[in-house]
Amino acid sequence: MEYLFFTLKSALFDFSRNKSRTFLTSLGILIGVMAVVLLTAFGLGLRAYIEQQFEDLGTNLIRVVPGQILNESGGFRSSAGPGFGSIKFDEKDVRSLQRIRTLTSVVPVFTNTTTVEARSESKYTDIYMSNAEVFTVLNLKAEYGTLFTDLDNDKRAKVAVLAPNLAEDLFGSPQKAINEQIKIGKQSFKVIGVANSKGGGGFGGPDFDSFVYIPYKTGFIYNTNKEFIVLIGQARSENDMTKAIKEIERTLLKRYEEDEFSILRQDELISAISSIFSVINTVLVAIAAISLVVGGIGIMNIMYVSVTERIKEIGIRRALGARRNDILYQFLLESVILSLLGGIAGLFFSYLIVLFIQRFFPAYIDAGSVALAIGVSSAIGVIFGVFPAKKAADLSPIEAIRYE
Amino acid sequence: MIRVDTVWKEFEIDKGVVFTALKGISLAIKKGEFSSIIGPSGSGKSTLMHVIGLLDKPSRGSVYFNDIDASQLNDNEISKLRNEFVGFVFQQFNLIPKLTVKENILLPTIYSRRKLSFDPEKRSQTLMERFGIAEKADSYPNKISGGQQQRVAIARALIISPELVLADEPTGNLDSKTGQEIMKLLKELNKDEQVTIVIVTHEKEIAEQTNRQIQIVDGKIV
Repeated sequence: MEYLFFTLKSALFDFSRNKSRTFLTSLGILIGVMAVVLLTAFGLGLRAYIEQQFEDLGTNLIRVVPGQILNESGGFRSSAGPGFGSIKFDEKDVRSLQRIRTLTSVVPVFTNTTTVEARSESKYTDIYMSNAEVFTVLNLKAEYGTLFTDLDNDKRAKVAVLAPNLAEDLFGSPQKAINEQIKIGKQSFKVIGVANSKGGGGFGGPDFDSFVYIPYKTGFIYNTNKEFIVLIGQARSENDMTKAIKEIERTLLKRYEEDEFSILRQDELISAISSIFSVINTVLVAIAAISLVVGGIGIMNIMYVSVTERIKEIGIRRALGARRNDILYQFLLESVILSLLGGIAGLFFSYLIVLFIQRFFPAYIDAGSVALAIGVSSAIGVIFGVFPAKKAADLSPIEAIRYE
Repeated sequence: MIRVDTVWKEFEIDKGVVFTALKGISLAIKKGEFSSIIGPSGSGKSTLMHVIGLLDKPSRGSVYFNDIDASQLNDNEISKLRNEFVGFVFQQFNLIPKLTVKENILLPTIYSRRKLSFDPEKRSQTLMERFGIAEKADSYPNKISGGQQQRVAIARALIISPELVLADEPTGNLDSKTGQEIMKLLKELNKDEQVTIVIVTHEKEIAEQTNRQIQIVDGKIV
């Protein structure tokens, strides 16, 4: 205990006497730790953000799309496989999927990107053609007015539900949009409701807040082949997911070949996207880690200087009975403290930066990053301190004490 | 207590050029002795002291500590012996500048692996009071006089109660009055507490104050 106290004290004294040297040496580790911790925080934030986005889109969703999208291992295919886009789902498929008991909703979707005109404004955006259940499945509610119903769909009513941003762009505010007319192509639609905000639109994802929702049967005006680009099924519960997927597969196989359609679980999609981002993030963190090595070399350099400056002291300590290992540990402890100081300071500044960034983006520092920063900076102290410390320990006592 | 048995020490000062500092020296130091090794500079007296103090290894021959052959010991065992058996006092005091007076005195105790038979704090206090440096306990070495620094060094050498105190030109960096005070202190330690003391010096006046003079010239005892 006393031993540690003396060693610590002599180390800290040296640092306080060489403040700028200590600062500059620790700065290398500080920057390295900051780079690694911040990039990890961004990666974690990005994953949380993506997961939140998907969560907002609804839970227990199963998407059925034409063609092969995912490869066997769950990643995205690098190119469209055989049969990609060769089939299109139609109302017959919708009806057969609706017979599956584990699915509470089946939502056919066709989208078209076109210009939507109001009295004075117009906007180029996505038209989302679907049935009334789309609102439950996607967690959409009417902020103003009402949503369209299955009856509207069957009647091919020319009604539209606007997403909030679009309503604002076209009419100045969501409230003003209600009961107004919009023109999609040559057809006029009555705005019966404005949906709540979904966020999104970042990272190239769909911008749900600028959509126009119309009943799909009305939409056959634009969708003359009466086909759907995706069928979204919602399972009764998470436990029913696997069963529902099996049944969807069995149903569709009656009509299509195995490689003509893909069934995507929302959660699998998230993990596929997450895995791509985590690979990118890992590469970035690895690159940032190089700066830690550079910082470690800085520490090694300074420790060599420190050993040379203190040869006499080493000689005195040896004359008083210090063993080789006592000297080794003394210098190792110093390099670990030096490195750890940088690591902790790096962690602290990263924390401040993350606090600031959190206003815009859900980046966060997890316990793993903290442990890693502390662990890695201690390890660097040991790895890069061991050679200078060994040099100090290996000095012959007599030469050390005679050194001037 | 200490027996030096035909010790030779050679240094290779250049390629192929060997300087022989000690030429088969044999001597014995008994417990409680107050002796001096005297000789001109370059005579080998400092080398002899380093060999006796286990800071340096002889090229040939052995040094026995209570019949333990030091040449048979490994580095850890030698460190232990240096720590417990020998106390050094140097010409340049050799205090560690970043430690206080008290911490300098306590330094040997932190390198001691055995359980100490005394309370280091109390013993350091006793020594400081006895040497008149108690009020400097928390001062740093560069803030006290040379005489005080040498007293600190002697206190440090005594903290573990070593069997032997080796003093290398202990008065060399002090004015004659202060030097005389240090000599008086060493004499008292020998007389009152039977501390075995060996002083290395080139000054006849210093050597004459000891009970036994070992004269070295050209690596040999004369």
